[in-house]
Amino acid sequence: RGLQNFISDLRNAKSKTDESNRVAKELANIRAKFTNSQSLSSYQKKKYVWKLVYIFMLGYDVNFGHAEVVSLVGSAKYSEKQVGYVAMSLLLKAGDSMMNLVINSIRNDLVGSYDDAATSLALVSIANVSGIELMNALHVEVQRVLVSPNATPAVRKKAALCLLRLIRQLPDSIASKEFAEHIATLLQDRHLGVLTSTMSLLIGMASKHEMEYQTMIPYAIHILSSLVLKRACGADYLYYRTPSPWLQIKLLRFLQYYPDLMSSGQTYVPTLKQILARILNDTDVSDSINKSNADHAILFEAISTIVVFGDNGDVELQNAAMRLLGKFISVREPNIRYLGLMTMSRLATLHNASNKEQIKTYQSTVVVSLKDADISVRRRALDLLFVMCDSTNAESIVDELITYLVAADAGIREQMVLKIAVLAEKYALSKKWYVDTILKLISISGDQVSDSIWHRVIVIVTNNPEGDLQQYVAQTMFDVCSSKTAHPKAVAVGSYVLGEFGFLIAEEAGKSGDVQFKVLHQHWAVVDSATQGIMLTAFAKMSNLYAELQPVIGPIFMKLKTSVDIELQQRSNEYRILATLGPDVMEDILREMPAFDTEKVSTLEIALEQEHTETHDKNIFSKKKFENGDGGSAAPPARMVGNHAANRPPGPPPTEEPEPDLLGGFDEPEIAAVVPPPAPAPGSSHKAAVGISEDQIPAMRTSFAKLCGSPQGVLFQDPHVQVGVKSEYRGSQGRVQLFVGNVRVSFSTGLASHSYPLRLPVVATKFAEPLVVNKEAFMGRWTQLAGKEAQEIVATGIPGSPARMQSVVALLASLNLGRCPEVDNAASASGCGTYKTGAKDGQGKNISVGMLVRIEANGDKFRVTARTMHQTVSTGVKNVIVAALKTI
Amino acid sequence: MSAFYANYTPSQRARIVRSIQMMVLPRTANMSNMITTETGEKMVYRRYASLYFIVGLPDGANELLALEEIHLFVEVLDQYFGNVCELDIIFNFHRAYAVLFEVIMGGHIVEGSKKEAIEQITKQDVLIEEVNAANSGQRRDHSNEENGLSYTMQMQLGRRPTKQINHTLSF
Repeated sequence: RGLQNFISDLRNAKSKTDESNRVAKELANIRAKFTNSQSLSSYQKKKYVWKLVYIFMLGYDVNFGHAEVVSLVGSAKYSEKQVGYVAMSLLLKAGDSMMNLVINSIRNDLVGSYDDAATSLALVSIANVSGIELMNALHVEVQRVLVSPNATPAVRKKAALCLLRLIRQLPDSIASKEFAEHIATLLQDRHLGVLTSTMSLLIGMASKHEMEYQTMIPYAIHILSSLVLKRACGADYLYYRTPSPWLQIKLLRFLQYYPDLMSSGQTYVPTLKQILARILNDTDVSDSINKSNADHAILFEAISTIVVFGDNGDVELQNAAMRLLGKFISVREPNIRYLGLMTMSRLATLHNASNKEQIKTYQSTVVVSLKDADISVRRRALDLLFVMCDSTNAESIVDELITYLVAADAGIREQMVLKIAVLAEKYALSKKWYVDTILKLISISGDQVSDSIWHRVIVIVTNNPEGDLQQYVAQTMFDVCSSKTAHPKAVAVGSYVLGEFGFLIAEEAGKSGDVQFKVLHQHWAVVDSATQGIMLTAFAKMSNLYAELQPVIGPIFMKLKTSVDIELQQRSNEYRILATLGPDVMEDILREMPAFDTEKVSTLEIALEQEHTETHDKNIFSKKKFENGDGGSAAPPARMVGNHAANRPPGPPPTEEPEPDLLGGFDEPEIAAVVPPPAPAPGSSHKAAVGISEDQIPAMRTSFAKLCGSPQGVLFQDPHVQVGVKSEYRGSQGRVQLFVGNVRVSFSTGLASHSYPLRLPVVATKFAEPLVVNKEAFMGRWTQLAGKEAQEIVATGIPGSPARMQSVVALLASLNLGRCPEVDNAASASGCGTYKTGAKDGQGKNISVGMLVRIEANGDKFRVTARTMHQTVSTGVKNVIVAALKTI
Repeated sequence: MSAFYANYTPSQRARIVRSIQMMVLPRTANMSNMITTETGEKMVYRRYASLYFIVGLPDGANELLALEEIHLFVEVLDQYFGNVCELDIIFNFHRAYAVLFEVIMGGHIVEGSKKEAIEQITKQDVLIEEVNAANSGQRRDHSNEENGLSYTMQMQLGRRPTKQINHTLSF
């Protein structure tokens, strides 16, 4: 028939184009036929739908014919219905517009029909498509089928699975309490197929609300014991002589939701122990691979259950499981070995002392799997070695891993490098060994060594000045970098280390400052700009220490001051100028770095836990204390720049203010000076930063308030600097420019760093657009918004007058508020505007918030009332006006 | 041939199938039947001569059991078609799907019993006699091509590899 020929044709197609031509022709043909589908016979209709399905299977887009599928589903003939349902399961997906049309037909088949076959088809299709539309429309009917006393086992088991799919999507569509009773009834069914699918459903339910289904535990253990201990199972459900492995595994899986089971003291605990022991002891390799797989599947599930019961579980079972796994990880059969390695990693997390010892004896066995041809096995072996590592065996495991790293393929290297780095740090007996290990990593697999790994080395070396570690590392790095072929990452570490600790070895023969410089500089051309930056800093430090290098290094900075790389340009300029500022300044800025704050948990471990996140985001150096200056940029050199940027003598003081929170900030009407000055720059001996003095605060308030109503002006002024602001707003967007000027022509700050935390005049009304409305509209809205007002009474100390009211009106205009002249009188002024936000509403449009304001004068007092749709906006607007009123 | 139990667009599906093929095809017989991808998805596959059956597993699923689920499906196919071969599946893909849906529903095994599954499918077929009648002749032809050998037997004879079949479950 046509379908078979069509398939043959496509199979004989000589090329991909040939095939797609044939498909295109057929699609056109079918489309033509479907346009007057009335004339199609039942046979033809089915045939064309099958062809569409086949074309879809080959990976072509099929975007028509859904209507025919729907009509087949609704057909009275079973043969048509069947085609319709299968095609629907494949072609339609959640969200298709046809989905709604098909729902009624499905509902009829679910409840209206006495025909098992049609009901089955309907249930299967709902489960396979599981669109949210179907779920919403039909979950009640599915539940009814499941609990109906008339349902046959074939229908019931399908209804259970269908319902499972449903609650995955709509977890709350079932009332757990009542449903537990239905499940209990189902669990007493004698049909193992019904039991199996009921268990699937129960697992799905328990994963959401395990407490509600606690009462099912005795049923589960009862069924399990008859399968495992009595081997009571109908012949149909023996799978290669094993009583339904599916049901056994689902029962065990369900019990895993109750990790405290073993210590619960319930009467079924001994039975459960017996069951688990029986599974552990009686499983054997058999000649049939299928039986062997099925039995081991149950065994591994039992071990997983033991792992889940954790330290409250039975120690003997744990030990037995460990012994078994010890056997599994040395077998040749790859699947069992793979699972053995994986499960042993899990079991090793328990605090079982004898297991901890036992597992160490497997080290050499695991290492064999690390060299397996199969990447899956290698990965599991790596994981296991990582888990079994402690301080007694770390050196040998790490050495083993490094030996293997040489031969490892790219697929696994990155993970290995990270794991080795973590182990080396965590269990290092000596810091030298740790540093050596990381250096080995860099030399073997430098490309996989992320920045955070070598940054960590620097942190550790810097923080351990005792002993000769720093000298040792300087020595080692000198040797490493002496080689022309040193890895760029090694050069980065070397640059940092020699810059910091090079002087510790400078006395030795052949390692003087200028030799160190040459050793580093030979790599200049091949390293990336980040490393070049570190090198520049090292050079700056060197030229400070060794006067003979200044003539060599000076020109380097000179040359780079026009570098296209902005970081290099800035550094070289800064270091160049630094040299002109006299030895004291230089000495202080370029002295050794102080110890880093160490975190308890290495960030590498965090990186490992979030395995697939980019490790370089989690830089160990991005800590708050570097906010000063470069604003927390990451690597160690940036920190040094930050350090001196804060000291930079006659430069502009950093004006910083965290991202202004436009509305929230107004709950706190205080302006400026509430922000504590930033912590003193690390590493310098100087005192707290010089900042805003108390007596400037009132003046700052005034200028802030003025700036709220004007686009430009002076924000801050003290004897040293002046900060001006210019701003422009359009709708929800604004641009703010800051001008910083020196008040004096020259002045010396000594070593004090200056810090001026200023609040920018970016306030709610800046984003407002004025509106002029009539009295009706104003009063209407005013009453509507009565619930969301903010009010404050301001005493100005200046008696009220008509002229004063005029300035209030002008003030409101300067704050971008229009007015409603009809409601104003001699003692009150109104304001009206729209606050344009950048936030999007449901339709993706920017949200605008209407604002209404009234100011009523009474003697020397003003009462300010703001009403908007949002309380925060009301408060914000009110605060701005209050601040501004105090200035007139 | 594939079935998905989560919503994917056709192009996503194609990409998934392609990447699975790339991972599975280079593997040799002495490797394990389990793969964990870089992004943590688990897959289990089983090869019958030139046919690959591959299932994606959710976290925590039992891998060995999934292998046997594949085998159960193959056994049901085998019994239903009577020594199933690749061409049976290609030319009767619609019926292969019917079998699949009877054995695995929404990503979950329906029946642990082969007999029960076969019974259900044949019951359906009785209702579609017309289709059945139209098909039986066709089917026998292809069985002849294969000398009526089942896949397991063909595998032992080292028979021709042609096209693989992917069957992907619940990602």
